[in-house]
Amino acid sequence: MKPFGLAEPASLKDAIAMIGDADSGVRPIAGGSALMLMMKPGILQPETLVSLRGIEPRYSSIETAGDGGLFIGAMTTLRRMELSADVARHAPVVTQALRRLSNVRVRNIATLGGHLAHGDPHLDLPPVLIALRAKVHIAGRDGERQIDVEDLFRSYLETSLDSGELITGVTVPAQGNRKSAYIKHTTRSADDWPALGLAVSFSLDGDVLRDVRAAIGAATDIPQRLKSVETALEGKRAADALQGAGDAAAAEAQVHSDARGSAAYKRELIRVFTGRVIRKAMESAAGGTI
Amino acid sequence: MTDTKNSRRTIRFTLNGRPVAADIGLNQNITEVLQDSFGLGGSRESCGQGLCGCCTVIMDGKAVTGCLTLAAFADGASVTTVEGLADGETLSAEQEAFIETGAFQCGFCTPGFILMTKQLLDENPDPDDEEIRHYLSGNLCRCGAYPEIVKAVRLAAGKRRNA
Ligand SMILES: Cc1cc2nc3c(=O)[nH]c(=O)nc-3n(C[C@H](O)[C@H](O)[C@H](O)COP(=O)(O)OP(=O)(O)OC[C@H]3O[C@@H](n4cnc5c(N)ncnc54)[C@H](O)[C@@H]3O)c2cc1C
Ligand code: FES
Ligand code: FES
Repeated sequence: MKPFGLAEPASLKDAIAMIGDADSGVRPIAGGSALMLMMKPGILQPETLVSLRGIEPRYSSIETAGDGGLFIGAMTTLRRMELSADVARHAPVVTQALRRLSNVRVRNIATLGGHLAHGDPHLDLPPVLIALRAKVHIAGRDGERQIDVEDLFRSYLETSLDSGELITGVTVPAQGNRKSAYIKHTTRSADDWPALGLAVSFSLDGDVLRDVRAAIGAATDIPQRLKSVETALEGKRAADALQGAGDAAAAEAQVHSDARGSAAYKRELIRVFTGRVIRKAMESAAGGTI
Repeated sequence: MTDTKNSRRTIRFTLNGRPVAADIGLNQNITEVLQDSFGLGGSRESCGQGLCGCCTVIMDGKAVTGCLTLAAFADGASVTTVEGLADGETLSAEQEAFIETGAFQCGFCTPGFILMTKQLLDENPDPDDEEIRHYLSGNLCRCGAYPEIVKAVRLAAGKRRNA
């Protein structure tokens, strides 16, 4: 890797002051797992890294609200999330997704903020968090804002963060009796980057699905909602709607061929796995499944 | 410490129980520094991408991927490598178990597997086979010693319980 400098601010405010403009060659670093993968081959050659490891402990904590909502600080490692009893209780689908995300060592260093800011479509948590209607907390020189997770992703490796903005955390709203599930399909080892990630979340009114959220990752350019699936399922009994939802998903998703499969293959995966992820959610306990 | 101009610095940390210092390049990873500054070859780079586990080190009680961890992040930390497991001539339970079950051929992957075994057993003293496979899924053995490795972990668990 080319030589670079390293700043280690002790507060979020100082970190924001240091990252400055987008093209300044200054880059925030959290765990560094994604950055190092890009810096080693020279795809990225920052002049200075600003480490977020020393900022206030609140940004590496997991807090619960009285109603079951969760705040997860951006610097929380994926491993801490995986082992958190609060996450398992309030959003078990997140715990389940984390168990097959890479390996223990990567989860020990990778952070939630880095995971989201990386903007790679082949990540497991974005579709899950979109289905759970999570929000990203963002701080910059002009203050703080919150956006839906789905509004973070612009295009391949590009997010809607402005220059000088950092992710400070994510809130997952209380899930109540909602059912959720995530299916990760890999075409190499079980814990490989996904070829397809599908997440769904809904309420059950008797056996009728309500307030459906469906999201896709990995097979598309950016993680995103599958609105046609949501429409196909809304107000229906699952048994009557699975086929239609699968067809709608395969028609809506813009997929590409890559090392993990051809576009035609991925469309077929989407068709089949849309039904499976809905059934998996139906079978889950309230909130999700581990 | 804030150092945006310099691309080198001196770090101090605890290495296998001893306080040490090293003059490092900020662009070096911890595996490179262990090799270049301390002559320790247990953590070794193979894939260089976080996939194989050959570069495993334990930092502040957590197994990390040495090839993707900046050496500067070890400043002030406690680092354990496979070289730190034995007590003089006495091997650790994990090391003995790998030898007794023949859980390697070339041995290139072995330090990583042994450190991950120690971590697993620290977290879960009596894992079943599925838990062992899941925990070690990020370690690759090109010689394919996997069946013996799973046996070695079980043996190490027994040795530790009886110690
Ligand atoms: C071997 C390997 C296998 C993997 N497999 C999977 C997998 O199966 N599924 C999966 O989902 N992921 C996988 N990943 C990706 C992993 O999830 C990401 O690398 C990790 O989450 C990034 O987090 P980090 O803290 O290391 O980020 P960093 O590398 O530190 O940063 C990533 C990016 O985010 C920026 N950044 C960091 N923190 C912030 C912040 N708070 N605000 C704004 N910008 C920020 C950085 O500037 C950089 O652009 C894998 C990674 C590796 C190395
Ligand atoms: S060399 Fe670091 S994981 Fe393979
Ligand atoms: S023993 Fe040769 S790679 Fe594992």
